[in-house]
Amino acid sequence: MAASIDHTEEDGVSVLYLAGSWRLGAVPDIAAALARLRLEGRRHCVLDGSRLGELDTAASFTLLRHLAAAGLARAAIAARGFQPRHERLLELVRSRMDTVSAAPRAPRPGLLARIGRATASIGALLRTHTGFVGLVTLEAIALLRRPRLFRLRETVAQFEAAGLNAIPIVALLTFLIGVVFTYILGMQAQRYGAQIFVVDGVGLAVCRELAPLLAAVIVAGRSGAAFTAQIGSMKVQEEIDAIRTLGLSPIHVLVIPRLLALMAALPLLVFVGSVAGIAGGMLVAAWQLDIPAAVFIDRLHATLPLSALVIGLAKAPVFAAFVAIIACRMGLLVARDARSVGDNTTSTVVQSICWMIVIDAAFAVALQQMGI
Amino acid sequence: MDAVLSVESVVTRFGAQAVHDGVSFAVGRGEVVALIGASGTGKSVLLKELIGLIRPTAGTVRLFGEDVWASPPEVLNALRRRFGVLFQDGALFSSLSVAENVAVPFREHTRLPAELVAPLVGLKLALVGLAAETGTKRPAELSGGMRKRVALARALALEPELLFLDEPTAGLDPVGARAFDELVRVLSEGLGLTVFMVTHDLDLLFGIVDRVIVLANGRVIADGPIEEVMAHDDPWIQDYFQSRKEAPDGA
Repeated sequence: MAASIDHTEEDGVSVLYLAGSWRLGAVPDIAAALARLRLEGRRHCVLDGSRLGELDTAASFTLLRHLAAAGLARAAIAARGFQPRHERLLELVRSRMDTVSAAPRAPRPGLLARIGRATASIGALLRTHTGFVGLVTLEAIALLRRPRLFRLRETVAQFEAAGLNAIPIVALLTFLIGVVFTYILGMQAQRYGAQIFVVDGVGLAVCRELAPLLAAVIVAGRSGAAFTAQIGSMKVQEEIDAIRTLGLSPIHVLVIPRLLALMAALPLLVFVGSVAGIAGGMLVAAWQLDIPAAVFIDRLHATLPLSALVIGLAKAPVFAAFVAIIACRMGLLVARDARSVGDNTTSTVVQSICWMIVIDAAFAVALQQMGI
Repeated sequence: MDAVLSVESVVTRFGAQAVHDGVSFAVGRGEVVALIGASGTGKSVLLKELIGLIRPTAGTVRLFGEDVWASPPEVLNALRRRFGVLFQDGALFSSLSVAENVAVPFREHTRLPAELVAPLVGLKLALVGLAAETGTKRPAELSGGMRKRVALARALALEPELLFLDEPTAGLDPVGARAFDELVRVLSEGLGLTVFMVTHDLDLLFGIVDRVIVLANGRVIADGPIEEVMAHDDPWIQDYFQSRKEAPDGA
């Protein structure tokens, strides 16, 4: 039975007969029927519920809101013939509807304003990162004075997760990059009969640039994202507050173990990556350039300066420190909702990779100037 | 009796651990029923079996006469539109604003145009006693009690015939909890709403509940009006109501 409404005049008073099933599904029909009523200028009206089958809050609200908009105040509406439960419902809706107002929608800022706001928030984030570095340094100094508070077990567990467990993926990817790099370089060198110089190039590129960057990017994606998500979920569950309340410092408990573990793990991964990348190069050299493994290794000995490997390994703790600091900070900045965990995790990976490219460029320029 | 909800010899086992060992009861239209029992007696598990989230090991659960666990997904989804659930911590979607949370059922299950939905969302918030400004806030900005009210507004959005409440007044201050009782009572009377709740709030049991079901050792050990249940000689039930007997005119 559909919802309907009949408007009649009885003794000069408008009477609205409500009939049928006044439920949520019928609200569009009810709104349309109400819009057809001519109630303007009426000062009184009577609602008759004797033909009403069902009534719910949505339908009552639609009716009362329309009457109020037509200028019929609460006192001007009389109800008759309703079942007691419908009357109670109508009364409930009537008593609550005064506080209903369509929630104001915040105006959507323009493109320029959004760009400005995003820029300002990136600036604020970078500024406060510096503050966080200072805080971690102070807490680390405090830890030096009271080494008992250092969490060795947590640090070792993080080293295992971030370092040892990443060895297979780092080795595989650097091996493949070594293969690709040697192949491309070899194709060019073959034209000039300069195959043997490919060994110099591969050794230098893999040890000094490719292995450190690739290992750091993998660590940012694997461990950086994990740190932010772990610490962020702990924030959502109020575990960070619990740590503070127990008189512990979240920096000691969460940040420093992760920072040290990552700074120790990344040089290891860079070394593994360098060996795997050179192995990949050696394979392609033997297969495509007819340089046997023994000749490859001999040439590498003669031309690869130890400084290249040392520079590659030296960059690793710096990259690791940036990833760990950014990841832990973004985790601690998570707000109490699920989306914020996702946003901050994304931000950690993006920030880490950007910083790594910037630092790598800074290293290259500085070392060039120093003549190394 | 026109049973809205019926549970027939439900057995639940998790591995070797038996939770329910033949639980049976029925709830009629318009009744307000509370399920009580000590912690770990499987109240929450039973609630999840009723709303189609956990499958019982054996036995039948019927909602509006349909066997929940034998129904095809379409029937189960149609059933889900006819009941609302208030989870213990509210279970609001944290990435949506309060108003968007309440609007989700309207958007997913009705074809109402946006200009009709917005005022209805406002009404639902007003019904649970929240100001219109609350609508723009995020669930993370709300207190526990307010989150619960928003969750109730969302559960009531589609005008359900049956409402499941999991610890509805836990985390509310006494004044807020009594206002909540009043709200549930008015709605259950006005809408002919059937309410099934898991609760420990004695005031709620005395104030608005028609019938109390007591779960212990995997079975229903008492089922009836509060006075009858209080007279039961089970030691746990006696302990449970002890505080109330000592201060009969308290609260």
